[in-house]
Amino acid sequence: MSTLPLQPSSAEPEHDQAAPHRWATLVLQAGSLLAFAAVLIFFSATAPFFLSFFNFTNVIAQSAILAILAFGMTIVIIGGGANVVTGGIDLSVAANLGLSAAVYASLIQAGHGDSTAVAATLLTGLLIGGANAFAVVIVGILPLLATLAVMNVAAGLELVLTENTVVPASSSFLMAINDAGPLGIPNLAYIVIIVAIIVTAIVQYSALGLRLYAVGEHREAARAAGLPVQRYIVGTYLASGLFAAIAAILSVAYLSGSSTGSAELLLGVVVTSLLGVVFSRRLVPTITGSLLAALFIGFLSNGFQLLNISSYWVSGVQGALILVVVAVTSILRRKET
Amino acid sequence: MAANAAAAPARSGSRADLLLRAGLPVTLLLVGLFFSFSAPSFLAPANIESVLVNNFALLAIISIAMTMAVASGGIDLSVGTALDFASLVFVSAIATGQNFYVALFGGLLAGSMAGLFNAFLIVGLGITPFLATLGTLFIGRSVQQLTTGGGIPIYLSKSKVAPESVFLGHGDLLGIATPLWIVLLVASTLAVLLRSTVFGRHVTAIGVQSTVAWYSGLPVRRNLVLVYILAAAISAIAGILLSSTVNAYVPSTGNAFLLNAIGATFIGTTIDRSGRPNILGTVLGVLLLAMVSNGLLLVGWNFYWQQVGTGALIFLVLVVTFASRRWRKVS
Amino acid sequence: MADPKSELALSMRDLVKDFGGVRALAGASFELRPGEIHGLVGQNGAGKSTLIKILAGIYQPDEGRIELNGRDVHHLTPHGVGQLGIQFIHQDRLLVPTFTVGEAVFLGREATFGGLLARRRMERQARDLLHEQFGITLPKGALIGELTTAQQQLVQIVRALSNEPRILVFDEPTAALVKREVDRLFANIERLRRQGITIIYISHYLQEIERLCDRVTVLRNGKNVGTVQPRTTPIREIAQMMVARDIDDMFPKRRVPLGQPVLEVSRLQQARHLNDVSLQLRAGEIIGMTGLLGSGVKELVRILFGLSRPDSGTIEIDGRAVALGRPSTAVERRLALVPEDRRGQGVALDASIRENITLTSLQRYLRGGLVSRRAEEAEANRLINELGIHPPHPDTNVRDLSGGNQQKVVIAKWLARQCSVYILDEPTLGVDIGAKVEIYRLIGELVAGGAAVILVSTDLDELNGIADRILVFYRGTIVKELRGGEASSDALLAWSTGAAEAA
Repeated sequence: MSTLPLQPSSAEPEHDQAAPHRWATLVLQAGSLLAFAAVLIFFSATAPFFLSFFNFTNVIAQSAILAILAFGMTIVIIGGGANVVTGGIDLSVAANLGLSAAVYASLIQAGHGDSTAVAATLLTGLLIGGANAFAVVIVGILPLLATLAVMNVAAGLELVLTENTVVPASSSFLMAINDAGPLGIPNLAYIVIIVAIIVTAIVQYSALGLRLYAVGEHREAARAAGLPVQRYIVGTYLASGLFAAIAAILSVAYLSGSSTGSAELLLGVVVTSLLGVVFSRRLVPTITGSLLAALFIGFLSNGFQLLNISSYWVSGVQGALILVVVAVTSILRRKET
Repeated sequence: MAANAAAAPARSGSRADLLLRAGLPVTLLLVGLFFSFSAPSFLAPANIESVLVNNFALLAIISIAMTMAVASGGIDLSVGTALDFASLVFVSAIATGQNFYVALFGGLLAGSMAGLFNAFLIVGLGITPFLATLGTLFIGRSVQQLTTGGGIPIYLSKSKVAPESVFLGHGDLLGIATPLWIVLLVASTLAVLLRSTVFGRHVTAIGVQSTVAWYSGLPVRRNLVLVYILAAAISAIAGILLSSTVNAYVPSTGNAFLLNAIGATFIGTTIDRSGRPNILGTVLGVLLLAMVSNGLLLVGWNFYWQQVGTGALIFLVLVVTFASRRWRKVS
Repeated sequence: MADPKSELALSMRDLVKDFGGVRALAGASFELRPGEIHGLVGQNGAGKSTLIKILAGIYQPDEGRIELNGRDVHHLTPHGVGQLGIQFIHQDRLLVPTFTVGEAVFLGREATFGGLLARRRMERQARDLLHEQFGITLPKGALIGELTTAQQQLVQIVRALSNEPRILVFDEPTAALVKREVDRLFANIERLRRQGITIIYISHYLQEIERLCDRVTVLRNGKNVGTVQPRTTPIREIAQMMVARDIDDMFPKRRVPLGQPVLEVSRLQQARHLNDVSLQLRAGEIIGMTGLLGSGVKELVRILFGLSRPDSGTIEIDGRAVALGRPSTAVERRLALVPEDRRGQGVALDASIRENITLTSLQRYLRGGLVSRRAEEAEANRLINELGIHPPHPDTNVRDLSGGNQQKVVIAKWLARQCSVYILDEPTLGVDIGAKVEIYRLIGELVAGGAAVILVSTDLDELNGIADRILVFYRGTIVKELRGGEASSDALLAWSTGAAEAA
């Protein structure tokens, strides 16, 4: 048609105000780091024992399981996109840990060696991850639903295996994990730091990681760049399963057996991964952010314990924390537009 | 939007479509037939009643609450919290010698407060329903631990239990147990509300495409507030019913229903032409879950294997549903 | 066209592509000479996008041959196409918003050092490329999401160029740009051509084709109806080729006597968007409104419908003030909005025609307190017949309808409510010519029935064809009122760009 040389304004310039966005993000990030620091300072001032080397490293060790589960969840969220309902999420991580831990403990109980148990545990974790990948990528079920269903199955299998009891397990390998290492720092702390460094290198600093972000944040752009999108997403669920299995081994070592309440961990993992977002400059999920968030939550509960504040507050504080973080982000975002 | 994304466009009347929609009723029938052959006591009236009262009623009510939230394009992870709050206030009130109706009203109100809080977070602060209700769940857990000294149940002695409570939990009317009447009442009310009232149709429109509802001048925010309060109030009914059945309040029991409620809601979407959440489908979904766990018990599976069985079943139904939707889209 | 085959950069011959019984391409051919800028035009549904998606390797043709530099190519894949030297600048900018410029440019071909990303090197190379090609420097460390639309487009072009393409395909690149940015883009495209890159340019805007292209191929109904030189062929002739019908018949003229004022807007003020805007609309009147991005037209629409709140000013409908800032009150006062983003805001795609039509008027079908399906269906069927919505089945999903029919459903939704003021925002964008004419006819019937219409448009013919008067917006104010049918393209352009005021 003979149209005016005026352009239809179909796409409004959403990103014209670059400055306020960056400013808001910085405020949020600085705010969360400040909050973290403030919590640490508050506890060190009020709980004398809090700042001690022993306590500090212990908190890191105690946070190891949560952090490693959160790494898996974070990778799934990165690859699936951050939309909580349609994006990537793996609700089966905690149940997977429970099942994998049960597998490990049962095999040790049955007289198998550590290497067999480790192999079987990792395989279990990967199988659960594979079930998720199948349901999400091949069948196309919403990740929220698919992983929920898989979680149910995994939790059921754990019950079958343990008959809802704690299966004790001890071996030299498990004891070594739970020991103190060089400098008197618990091995668990070393393990979580090493895992974090490796995963950060892959996710945050390698081409693979960059591509994973592209897949999650803009699937069309990733496709246009010739990336095998589906394979990446399959990979995220497998990775999540693998991390759940690793966390399971640590959990068996830490608790000297399988535990019956692992499903309780799930919400903490979700909170940790979501909270981690505010520690990143681009407001995206990151491994370092999730590590910080896991430590933050660890120090918080530890401080509460030391101050003799009832642990009953912990989940409420976690809940309030998500709400505050999300509300602040969404209000900041709304202001821009 | 969960409902939205789950709802692949359905061409009306195509054969594959009908096949899919018949999937849930046919599965129910087949599962029923299977168990009646493999476990003779499955069809015994006593067993049927036990299935319906013990496995079906509470989950059905919670799932109906969930269905409302999912129909509006959201989700309510705090249905269990509303149930717990209602139970806590109801039982505490009875324990302190309050009149049954005062306790009932207090319980329903307490449960609804969780919904009001959700509505404030979702509509007022603009937090996505998943995160908002997750936050409510967490906070609710703390509140319960703090008010019960770390999760100590409150039991009602026989003498304190009101006769109305006994009727609710264990009574019957025309030979049918009261809980089932309550399910029937809740389900039919909500089915009519969702399908045939202006409010319900507006909620559905919000769930299908909320921007269109907003650009059509519908009172989107008000409706969402009502949806979350309604979902909590329905869950509160389940809380009262639960307390009346066991004559106790046990902290944080509500969350046990959460996953099955979500599962039942999405299984229920398969019978709708457009794949939307609907009350009838949800109730059938709950019935399927209840039947399977009871049937598995009767054929000799222990409780743990039942968990695996129902979990695998939900997984299977989801796989078939979504696989056929995907297949239909491609063809 | 006596060029020997071997001299063609690309030739696509006799392409046929069916989609479930619908023939999208029916033997279309397309030939590209090395070093030219070749336009591709056609209405929606003419087969443009199918043709381009075949070239991009997204679809495989059912029949036909594709040759690149005289060599047969089979089975193109999205990945393989890039290696053959063809790059695409997509309409929706395919860039990850949280990436830096360097990351966005090199995604998929990242520079690494010892297995880790060489971020600094990628940033530097991207900056160098942007500077070399376009002479611009973006803020250091800026993320894609923080750039303007035009800057993002340049990043995308640089991304394409870094693959050293021989053929570059621009798909509607100006859709989100303002005039100044379009001029700069054209200069850049010219320069790319001088560097020896062959360019395919797809656009709805024939003026752009005329300015930029050496040749243009016109598609209609899945076939090419001809390739002409736009610099020597009048635009009207090209338009004629596209539609195969006389475009003078498009606007069913229908003037109705004006009635009482129905809408009075006085002294609306909104920081950065609107400055002291007043206007009056009478029953039976069609006001056209036009303006560039940022002129305030869109903001006025949003305020009128309650989607946004002004800092000051009043709106009256039928002499009574309207509570501002809420769509539900606007609708209560019988205001209707047909939004520009039809699929996002106008129709619920996964709901049926019936559900869409009755959405705003459910109270009317209450029988005994409940919505009567039968009453709804009766109303839906009435409007389906009246508006000629196809297919005429109330239970069809709106997703399965063509753009024009979807737009009719949006209008039907408001007709069911019997609104008195209709705000139509680019109502014919992306609908084919037949549906366009029907929408114009419908607008005529609206005012004949006593309603008033605000038509926001950037289509001059449309404004001249049906509006009684045309208000031109510039920087938040109404700078000019022109009479419908008498506005010249030059005048509109001059007023909407501020050139007329300056003079």
